[in-house]
Amino acid sequence: MTQDAPRNDRPRAVNGHAPDVFKREGQVPMREYPKNAPVDFVIVGAGCGGSVLAAKLAEAGMSVVLFDAGPFFQPRRDFASDEREQEKLYWLDPRISDGDDPIELGANNSGRAVGGSSVHFQMVSLRFRPEWFKARSKLGYGRDWPVDWREMWRYYDEVEEALKISGPIRYPWGPDRGRYPYREHEVNEAGLVLARGAEALGVDWAPTPLCTVSAPSGKSPPCAYRGMCKIGCSINAKQSMLITYVPRAIKAGAEVRDLAMVGRIETGADGRATGVSYYRDGKWRFQKAENVVAAGYSIETPRLLLNSSTAQHPQGLGNADGLVGRNLMVHANDAVWGEFDEEIRWYKGPPSMATCEHWNYADDDPSKNFDGGYSFMSQGPLPGDFAGTLTSSTGMFGDDLLEAMGRYNRMAGLKMVGESMPQVDNRVTLADETDELGLPRAKVTHSFCDNDRRLQGHGRKFMSRMMRAAGGKNLFETQSTAHLMGGCPMGDDPETSVTDDMGRVWNVDNLWICDGSLMPTGGGVNPAMTILANAARIADRIIDARFD
Amino acid sequence: MTHDRIYDTFRRRTRRPVGGIGLGAIVAGVGLGFVAAGLAARRPRSANPVKRSRNKREALRLGRDGAAIMGASVLFDSALEHLRGDFRRDEMYVAPLTGATAMAAALAEPRRRKRGRVLEVTHLSSVGIGIAGMGFHLRNISRRPGGISWNNLFYAAPLGAPGALIMSGLFGMVTHRMAQAEGYEHLHGRELACLTALALVAESGEVALLHFRGAFHDKAMYLPVTLPPLAAAGLMAQAIYPHRHFRRPLTLLLRAVEGLGYVGTGFHALGVARNSAGWRNWRQTTLAGPPMPAPISFAGLGKTGRAALDLLAVGEDQPRQNKERAAI
Ligand SMILES: Cc1cc2nc3c(=O)[nH]c(=O)nc-3n(C[C@H](O)[C@H](O)[C@H](O)COP(=O)(O)OP(=O)(O)OC[C@H]3O[C@@H](n4cnc5c(N)ncnc54)[C@H](O)[C@@H]3O)c2cc1C
Ligand code: SF4
Repeated sequence: MTQDAPRNDRPRAVNGHAPDVFKREGQVPMREYPKNAPVDFVIVGAGCGGSVLAAKLAEAGMSVVLFDAGPFFQPRRDFASDEREQEKLYWLDPRISDGDDPIELGANNSGRAVGGSSVHFQMVSLRFRPEWFKARSKLGYGRDWPVDWREMWRYYDEVEEALKISGPIRYPWGPDRGRYPYREHEVNEAGLVLARGAEALGVDWAPTPLCTVSAPSGKSPPCAYRGMCKIGCSINAKQSMLITYVPRAIKAGAEVRDLAMVGRIETGADGRATGVSYYRDGKWRFQKAENVVAAGYSIETPRLLLNSSTAQHPQGLGNADGLVGRNLMVHANDAVWGEFDEEIRWYKGPPSMATCEHWNYADDDPSKNFDGGYSFMSQGPLPGDFAGTLTSSTGMFGDDLLEAMGRYNRMAGLKMVGESMPQVDNRVTLADETDELGLPRAKVTHSFCDNDRRLQGHGRKFMSRMMRAAGGKNLFETQSTAHLMGGCPMGDDPETSVTDDMGRVWNVDNLWICDGSLMPTGGGVNPAMTILANAARIADRIIDARFD
Repeated sequence: MTHDRIYDTFRRRTRRPVGGIGLGAIVAGVGLGFVAAGLAARRPRSANPVKRSRNKREALRLGRDGAAIMGASVLFDSALEHLRGDFRRDEMYVAPLTGATAMAAALAEPRRRKRGRVLEVTHLSSVGIGIAGMGFHLRNISRRPGGISWNNLFYAAPLGAPGALIMSGLFGMVTHRMAQAEGYEHLHGRELACLTALALVAESGEVALLHFRGAFHDKAMYLPVTLPPLAAAGLMAQAIYPHRHFRRPLTLLLRAVEGLGYVGTGFHALGVARNSAGWRNWRQTTLAGPPMPAPISFAGLGKTGRAALDLLAVGEDQPRQNKERAAI
């Protein structure tokens, strides 16, 4: 970084301007709203849920202020091809993690930047299986969503078009999904390992639909296949919220406040939300609002609601039944790694270029001994990441680690995204400990159930078979988790859910949630597309309700 | 991944995969050498003993240029694409070299008196090597997981590309034959019209595949999949039922197709600029972006198409000329 590069610890969206994300330097004009006059919507969190909502509401003519605790990056200047430097993208503020299977928090599950986790997500863009929206009534496990899959299908179309998802022409699983806006990318060698294995075992595989463009789009160049995706794409091929919906929101008149940590949602004597208290540029401030939306993802959204307690809401907002923070889910991220005779160079290109969703759809297979499903993808971890995996899962160290890393270019791997069951005891609560701003830290309690373990065991076994069939040797397995879902599930019944079907918190009619925490079940696919589609749907519902 | 001897030698010498400017320069050098050879081999026009109609001269010139442009396109396009593939197999050198010989042979036309056996053999070997190339490309695709799948059609060895070599050889051959013979202009015109129509359709097919891969992200990308098939239809109609009707608009259309070749090169240069870091990063972006030498083949086909129409005109004038001659 050059010496005069602007600092990451000072807000950049100020004085009527926001950073121009497509340039190394430069700004775009941005509208600003006074703090003491209520804006139509304050949205807390500029990630997948918050950005889509902000753009659509602003485009419908509403006044919107979008807060994010993280910085407003300019990828072309701020992103380095360096794993350590790029840790600045993750939410690394300490959280307390316990339970039988405590989750490792940070790089694997949440981001902290304008654009949210989409800035460093790995761009796998899959849809839910339709039946999962009615998992309880159709498949007999988990919970039902208060939404029909056909409605979600339309919104998947909408967000896939907006993000120019590059996907295969024929997707082997599920109902027809029309044509992806951009064509599939060339599958890299690591992906061809999955392909060879799948063909040997007689199951389908597909080039992964990815959220990075395979041809120029607007100001984005096509993907250059350098594989830095997980630490932020410095050339803007990746269609993160930071370069898509956030600029759209600003253009339509929304204001973004970066490096603005919202500590509390304030409520009035009538119990309704009046605005938010936030910390920015060294001071606590207050923004008035007609409506407040929490979009901080599955840990921070519950934390914010719980921390906003008042005499009228003694247990926190929306938490009269004690449901806020419960039914938190992760994806099992177990993996099988192996060595190959030939060079693979798996760091080339986006990390997961081939996918297999066989076990999301194979209900009748006699070997299926679990509820739910899993998909898995080819892998391409960066060296630091992979060395970390080796150390933490095999205890390898020193010369052994050095020697193992010498085989880095001949390694390949398969990693699952395995559904886990919603359980009330997997939850976010407030710890006694506080952070630098004096806000109670989040405590995350997590344990897998027997079904989760059976699913993971099945996945590891199947992926091992596939690796062997593709020619992999000296296989070894690792276990971890990825993604967060749930925590404030939506539903039809106030007794069992935190919000209604449009994300409105039961009993606080101007408080909303719009992020991954709404998900009643997690499904066996990466969640971003579902969160985005749901946010686009909620936006339309709000707009319709307002203008009716 | 298999490597061959030249690849390994390069790799041992330079400690890096074949690539970069060095090899590009070799190939370009070979190409330019052949251009020079071709030009030198041309016979001065004044040596033509028999007077020819202006149309016939024009047709010969257009046919020769068309075939040469196709050869040049193969030379540069295959050099670029095979460089992208690191010249991993020794056979990959054959394509640019044949492109160069095809171009040189085409430029050495039109020969009149002499049989020109060497030229005939060169034209025919372009055709043969083009067919072999298709076989290689098919084998490359079918060995990859997925077989004949979209991913392989988009990104593995392009099935249609060696076709340009076949076309270059065939056009060279037709030009060769029409220079040798008098009185068969009408027949040659029909042949050439048919051949050009087929080449235009094949070429548009290849463009359609690749522009579809690029999601037709720019509206201009529709031009090369609409104008050339129209021109092909017109030419095919002339081949089956030669008729003076519509020849003028068809000529204009063929000029537009030719123009598309030049404009397309410009568009591809802009496409390269839209890749990360644009032309400043040309060593990467010219390989990753749209292939600069590809569109020019349309210029070649526009020319051979017009050559066909000129020949038809010559053929149709002939009986009249013969009659006139008899009257004298
Ligand atoms: C390494 C990694 C790879 C991933 N890969 C994929 C993938 O390939 N495919 C896929 O579908 N999904 C992937 N995901 C998951 C996906 O990124 C998330 O599910 C999705 O971004 C969640 O969206 P969200 O809107 O709920 O939250 P986020 O996108 O995380 O946004 C929340 C935002 O809120 C801000 N915030 C939180 N609390 C506050 C507060 N109190 N005040 C102000 N701001 C606040 C945060 O800073 C953050 O920017 C990946 C995630 C990670 C971590
Ligand atoms: S591989 Fe593509 S999406 Fe990933 S960082 Fe590089 S250019 Fe961006």
